[in-house]
Amino acid sequence: MRSIRTYLLLALLAIITLVTFVSLLKGYQSSITKAQQLFDDRLKNIAGIIANANQDTQPRTAGVFKLSPGVFFQIWSDDFMLLAHSNNAPLTQLFDIDNDSAFNNINFSGYRWRSYTLQDTTLNRWIIVGERDDIRYTLAENVVLASIIPIVLAIPVAALIIWVAIGLGLKPLRELSEQLNNKQADDLSPVVLRETPKELTQLVTTTNALLDRLNAAFLREQQFSTDAAHELRTPISALKVQVHNLQTAHKVNDQEIESLALGIDRMGHVIEQILALYRHSPDQPLMKRAPLDLCAICQHVIAKHYDQIALKQQQISMVGEEKCVIKANKFALETLLDNVILNASKYTPDCSEIRIGIFQNNQSVKLVIEDSGPGIEAHDYDRVFERFYRGKGDQHDSGTIGCGLGLAIVKHIVAIHHADIVLDRCADLGGLKIVITFPKQVKLTS
Amino acid sequence: MLINAVVIVLREVLEASLIMSLFLAYSQHVTVSRLSLLFGIVLGGLFAWAYAVHISTVSNWFDGVGQEVINAGLQLAIYFVLLGFITQALIGVSRPIERITLISLMVLGIVLASIREGSEIVLFITGFSSAPDLLQPVLIGSAIGAGIGISVGVCIYYLLVTMSFKNSVRVGYVLTLLIAAAMISQVVQQLIQADWIVSEYPLWDTSNWINERSITGQLLYALIGYEATPTPIQVTAYFSAIAMIVFVSFYQISRKTK
Repeated sequence: MRSIRTYLLLALLAIITLVTFVSLLKGYQSSITKAQQLFDDRLKNIAGIIANANQDTQPRTAGVFKLSPGVFFQIWSDDFMLLAHSNNAPLTQLFDIDNDSAFNNINFSGYRWRSYTLQDTTLNRWIIVGERDDIRYTLAENVVLASIIPIVLAIPVAALIIWVAIGLGLKPLRELSEQLNNKQADDLSPVVLRETPKELTQLVTTTNALLDRLNAAFLREQQFSTDAAHELRTPISALKVQVHNLQTAHKVNDQEIESLALGIDRMGHVIEQILALYRHSPDQPLMKRAPLDLCAICQHVIAKHYDQIALKQQQISMVGEEKCVIKANKFALETLLDNVILNASKYTPDCSEIRIGIFQNNQSVKLVIEDSGPGIEAHDYDRVFERFYRGKGDQHDSGTIGCGLGLAIVKHIVAIHHADIVLDRCADLGGLKIVITFPKQVKLTS
Repeated sequence: MLINAVVIVLREVLEASLIMSLFLAYSQHVTVSRLSLLFGIVLGGLFAWAYAVHISTVSNWFDGVGQEVINAGLQLAIYFVLLGFITQALIGVSRPIERITLISLMVLGIVLASIREGSEIVLFITGFSSAPDLLQPVLIGSAIGAGIGISVGVCIYYLLVTMSFKNSVRVGYVLTLLIAAAMISQVVQQLIQADWIVSEYPLWDTSNWINERSITGQLLYALIGYEATPTPIQVTAYFSAIAMIVFVSFYQISRKTK
């Protein structure tokens, strides 16, 4: 069943048509039979009137009775002499004296006639009257048809009324479907229908309860995330201060303290990345989006990390458009750029080149990040987006702090923005080429 | 006249609508575009009109029995299309070529049924164009006949699509079998009318129980090829047609299970 409305319309209309038309045929047959009985009664009366009005007992010598072509009569004497007849009646005897039935069907002049034979016992005569069968039938049919035609014509009208009625009946369902369909990704408010029919009450109640539980769960998780961020960052910052104090105040600067400081930095980085990964999970609905200039944000992120890039004597350049507006979440977009630019810096050697390009057409905005580093093997392109996966495993030779979450975060942010990410080898610089395509028109729904 | 129109149009529309409802119901399982089936109806309608317009020429073929012979040919073709449809449905439609074959058979079946039944309706109604007094009851009767025929088709379609797939296949198979056999029975009837097959005394006469011209009689005529007075050769052809489809079905099933 593809559409409830079409199903209901066709099924109802088929049943109504079937029942109505079959009843109509039954009614038609009964009406025709009834009409024939009425015509027979009329024929009988005509015969009686003729018997009373005409007193001929001898054959009429001159003149015949002119009647309409559909009716005839004959008057026969007991000794079978034709006493009188209508102009269209034959001169032959049209009744059988041995036949007990007064009503008969006879044929003459190329037509079938319905006749009635009356025995006039007063004047010892036989009066035969008849009507053309086809005229009787047509007359009866015309009378019956007059009552049938409106019913037949009513079927298309009924179809129209049923179509509208079903449409009205299904309105709450359509309203529910539209409300769910038009819900923004971050909208977990309950569904409210103007009128909730009995059949939809359970569905609406269950859906609202589900949305309510989901909202509570997200709020709980958000609270947990905030608390965890605070509770974890504070001791790590304290540890960093302690290590710094240890190095400066006590002039301790051996290899073990260096390793301790590096370990604390690594722990801090992992915690930040895990929190970022959680915040940008694609099923995270509480994310506001607004029109943003990708070029401006990109410049801001480059400036933010320029010290680190300059430290490695890397050359970074930005080419392409001056302004590219996309609808995105600012924090998420910055996190994405943080990850891809820092990755490019971290995993390429000193004095290497990083090139960022931003291009746009009518449908999309393209962000391209290329570097002259070692790149990623083609067979790892899919796997690098997995959480905690690092190329070459624990033997990663970059020597930089990393936990294998950067590209997983990037992938999540790309998914949230209905964008697309492709990894490739940069033909110019020889390193990794990341192409992220943001659609300009995004239906920001769940 | 109204009753005559009802009986004639109902007989034709019912046959076509049963075949179409079967195909439409099956099209749900093989994702056939409804447009292709609609195309079959429109194409068949156009051919039916052309056939009816040139009926006097066609009638003169085969020593004056051209209409009967062509009608018999169309019905025989519908039988083979139904046989092919059952065979292909049993083989399956996993490969594109099998799917295309099945869709082509369905469209061809609809085109043939539309030509056969549509031309009869066009001929019947246009026959009264010169008798305006009779045209109104003929048109009303035709509308009633068409309405009943289409309604039965719609009911059978929804019956098939709302059933479980297994039951739908079973009922659909039996219906196809009976409609196909009814086609062969009509082929024999047409050839008897054309004097290509010698007419014989009927095997039985059930017209007192179910009159062929009643609504029930027409429904049974379209559904199972009901004849109140069938000749021995009609009965033989009817059951041979069923036997052939059953044999082909068993052959395909046994091939598939091997």
